[in-house]
This record gives sequence, structure tokens and C-alpha cells, in this order.
Amino acid sequence: MRILTEIVESIKISLDSIRANKLRSFLATLGVVIGISFVVLMGWAISGLDKALMDSINLIGEDMLYIDKWDWSGGKSWKEVRNRKSITLRQANQLISELTLAEIAVPGATFWGANAKSEGIDFTGIIVYGTTADYSLLPSGEVEKGRFFTKFEEQLNKKVVVLGHKVVSSLFPETDPIGKIIKLEGYEFEVIGVMKKQGTMLLDFVDDRIYIPLGSFMQLFGGTHTRNISIGIKAGNLDRMDDVREEARGIMRRIRNLKPWQEDDFSINETKAFEEIVSTFRLYVWGIGLGMTVLSFIVGIIGIMNVMFVSVTERTKEIGIRKSVGAKNRSILLQFLVESSTLCLVGALTSIFVCSILVFATANILPKFVPATAFLQKFLPFEFVLYATIVAIFVGILAGLLPAMRASRIDPIESLRYE
Amino acid sequence: MEPLIRLINISRVYQVGEEQVFALKNISLNIYPNEFVAIMGPSGSGKSTLMNIIGCLDTPTSGEYYLKGENVSDMDDNELAEIRNKEIGFVFQMYNLLPRANALKNVELPLVYAGVSKAQRIAKARQALIDVGLEDRMTHKPNELSGGQRQRVAIARALVNQPSIILADEPTGNLDSKSGAEILNLFHHLWEKGNTIVLVTHEKEIAQKAQRIIRLRDGLIEGEEYT
Repeated sequence: MRILTEIVESIKISLDSIRANKLRSFLATLGVVIGISFVVLMGWAISGLDKALMDSINLIGEDMLYIDKWDWSGGKSWKEVRNRKSITLRQANQLISELTLAEIAVPGATFWGANAKSEGIDFTGIIVYGTTADYSLLPSGEVEKGRFFTKFEEQLNKKVVVLGHKVVSSLFPETDPIGKIIKLEGYEFEVIGVMKKQGTMLLDFVDDRIYIPLGSFMQLFGGTHTRNISIGIKAGNLDRMDDVREEARGIMRRIRNLKPWQEDDFSINETKAFEEIVSTFRLYVWGIGLGMTVLSFIVGIIGIMNVMFVSVTERTKEIGIRKSVGAKNRSILLQFLVESSTLCLVGALTSIFVCSILVFATANILPKFVPATAFLQKFLPFEFVLYATIVAIFVGILAGLLPAMRASRIDPIESLRYE
Repeated sequence: MEPLIRLINISRVYQVGEEQVFALKNISLNIYPNEFVAIMGPSGSGKSTLMNIIGCLDTPTSGEYYLKGENVSDMDDNELAEIRNKEIGFVFQMYNLLPRANALKNVELPLVYAGVSKAQRIAKARQALIDVGLEDRMTHKPNELSGGQRQRVAIARALVNQPSIILADEPTGNLDSKSGAEILNLFHHLWEKGNTIVLVTHEKEIAQKAQRIIRLRDGLIEGEEYT
């Protein structure tokens, strides 16, 4: 009870003294303000990254394996990956027909930078994705308008197309695309659907894709023996991932005629690859942020310690008065510790307030000019605000310790004589 | 009657360089409840040192000091702070008020360190200010008050914990004669109400107001008289 009374009184005293020395207090807390800003902004950036990662994982599907010539994680040497032989359509079909444990398996081929014409618009730079009707069963296969093509259309190599979300605005800025005809590399295709918006920071190209039956794709872009096909395999269940992976690996090795001592000449990609990319990214943010934070806190502690020493000297007489009416050494110690903590806390609250405004403004305005920053969150993550506050109090105690100890040891007789 | 203050062979020695300076030499003294004692002497006589020891701001180099029968001379800093808080009320020549706090806050201060609840603190501080005649100056800060009024605030602060002794060190030294006389009358009034007062001064006329005068010279008690 007594200690509580003293803490409350000390907080009032310190707010008074902050008010009485506004500029000095501001300058003293600047280091802490900057340090706290680093902490919360770092937390903000990381929470944005995590959100982007989660979105990407959900889009790809956590229980999905992608068998491909290309490796997502970047762990393999680029040269080795480039020299791998493509996975041919025949190999892909054989794999799909031999898989027993997977829920579904969908082949896909990509052509970058195709040309398409619609009512008067000529657009080059479209990503064409040839696949089967089963694609619509994958997490990324959701249609917003119209429909995906059917097995029947696929087998007959029909010239039908489903547009990615962003392609619509390039080819049909004003009209409803469903039922319209586009000319893809000179061939007429009927638009039968539009995909849902799916792009994320890490996978922003998916909205630029258009989807056509794989057979039609082969007719248009050829290379039955050279074009690389990737196979998306949905395990259906996270527990089955290992079994499905091993089965697919065995079949692929047999199809590709690999000897037991040879390494896989294909990659089995999973969402884990994205987690790895993001975690390196995150490490950079942490590393830089932490370094800056520690540096500014050191500056902050020195600043506050300095001001507290000045404050103790200035208030020698006050300390004497307090001691003469019964303040114990630890009451004086407490008073100055509370004072430096309050100083830091006020600094922390100021920086949280300023950062909140900054973050809210940035997250609302920046993505309009730089779409890649759409992953930024509008609010500071609560737990980082909490950490920042705790760190501020801790820094205050640390910075105030020496000055407070000096204050508590002041001799009351000497200090009462002090002018 | 049991004395309130019992000093037995108190000495206080300061080390100044190589030399030992005796501020007090084997002083023995009893002060009884509801006495009004003036300690008189020229500067350097040791009266401030004596007051600091009686007020538990300082401890004697040798000798024993019993306050209300309790041996105070070998207490540590924290215990002494507790005694100052409960048993002693100081009034200084320079008032020694907190400049940024108003009269009420200044008077509340000893109660804060006694751990008294806020409501009680305000009630007691108010009453103490009323007792010294400052009921209309409670929210004034020290620099908005006259010297005499400031000293009344200091007296209210000394009274608020109902201490055993009020220790006043040259309480009129900074006041004009009219305010000085008023303050002395206030002390007299407090004594009549049953308080024990120890007043340190170098002026004879002021000492005459007390019931008993103790003369100090060169760290020794030179003489004692009752008025």
C-alpha cells in the first residue's frame, strides 16, 4: 500500500518535471523514441510479410506438391537445374496415371509473353497456362464469373479460355468478357470464365495468367517433346504428404530412367520453399532492425542517464527536504527510477502514436502507387506495441539506476544546506 | 517523569583533513514532554549539530540518545527516516518547501512517506493548514506566499504527523519583526496545546519566549536557565 502510494506520487512528480522541462525531456527521450519506432515498425513489416506468406501458402495449398524441372527454393545450383531435361507431356501423363495415393494430379504448362487481341485491344505479355479441367479443383482454381472448362472441352482441344483477374482489365476494360472472342496468337478463343483474384506479394503473376486446355496449348505453342510440364499433386491431407511424395518420387525416377546412385533430375516443390524465402527475408529485417534498435537504445540510455544526473543535482535540496520529513533511501531511489521510466514510457507512447499514423497512412496510400506493397498492414501489431512498452520501462530503469542510486545516497544535512 | 529526549555523553567529531574537530563534547541533556526549550549560542557553538542529532538527521560519534525511551543512536538510515517521519517535525530558517507543489501538497508530504491514504492525507493536511491560519491559501505555491505564510506552511507540515517534538532552526531568521513575532506566537500557542518544542536561535529576545534556555558554547553546555 505504502509502495503503491509512493509510486503514484512519483509518477505525478515525474509528469510535473517532464512538463516543466519539455524540451530537455524531448531531447533526452529522442534515442528511446527512435528505438521504439524501430521495434514497432520492424514488427509491422514482419507481420505484413507473414500475412503475405500465409496468403501464398493458402493459394498454393499446403497439401500440394509440384513436380517440376524448376526448383522453387533456390537451394539447387541454377546451372544444374537449367540443364535438366524437360518433363514431357508423355512423362507427366504416365506419372498421373500411376499415382495411387494422391487425391488429384494436374499437369500444367506455361508460355510467357503471348499476344492476345480483343475488340480493338492488342496486348502482348500474357502468360498462357495450359492445364486440364481438374485445375478447377485446386485451391488456386476458383472461378469468380462464368465457369472453368470441362473434361469434355479439354479432350476435344476446344478453343476456350478462362481469364485471370487482372487480364480482364487489360483486354476488356469496359465490357463483360464472358462469351466474347479473343485472338490468342492468331487463334480465336471463346472466353467462358474469369478467375477469382488470387495474387499475393510473392505470387503476383497468377492474376496475369489465362487458362486454356492443355491440348490446345500444345497445338498453339508446340514442342510435345521439349515443352516442360509441371504436375500439381494434391495429397488431400497433410498426414499423407510423405507417402505421396515418396510414391511420386519413385514413379518419376523410374519414368526418367534414373539409376539408384543418380540424383533426382526433377524437383518436388512445396509451400515450404516459400516459408524458406520469407524466413530469410525476415532474418534480414530482424538483423537490420535489431542492430538499429540496440544502437538507438544505447544512445537513448545515455541521453536519459545524463538528464537524470542533471535532474538529481538540480533537486538536491528537494531530496534533502523529502528525507527530512521521512523519505527513506529506497523511496528516493524509487522516485528517480519511476521518473526515468515515466520519461521513457512517454517517449514510447509518443513514438507508438506517431508510428501508428505513419503506418496507417503508408498502408493506405503506398499500394496505390506501388502495388507490390499491398501486403502492408494498416495497424501496428499489438504484441509489438506491448513489447515496446515493456522495453521502454526496462530501458528507463536501466538508465535511471545510477542517477537514482546517487540521489538515494545524498546526505540530508548537506543537501538541506545546498542552494 | 520519563524524559522525551535523553542525551547521555553525546559527542560529535568531524574529520577535517588530518584534524579532528569536536562539534559537541560530552553533552548530556533531558527534555521532557510539553517543554518549550530554546537552544542558544553563537555560530560555531554546535547548536546546529545538536539539532541535527536530536532531529535524527545525524548520529553521534559517541554517547547515547534515547527518544521516548528508544535508543536512536545506533539506528541505520532507514530506521532514522522512520523516526523523523513519525516523531519529528522540522521547521527551517529557509522554510524548505517544495517550490513546485502548492501549500496543501507540501503539508501532505510527510503523510505520503507514512503511507497514509489520499483522502486521509488531504483531510489531515487541510486541518493542519487551518490550525496555522492558512485556510485560504491552500492551493497557493510557495512563491505566491509571503515569508510569514511560507513559514506557517512549514509549521503545518511539521505538525501534520502529530510528532513528539517540533524542531525549529532559526524559524524567524528570515522574517521581518512583525511576521517573526506572529510565528513565535504560533509556537507559543502550539506549546500551550501540549506540543514539545525545541527552538534553536542565536537571538536572546527570541530565546526569552521559551520556558527554558540552554546556552551552548564551543560544543559544551555553558548554562541553563528557566524564564
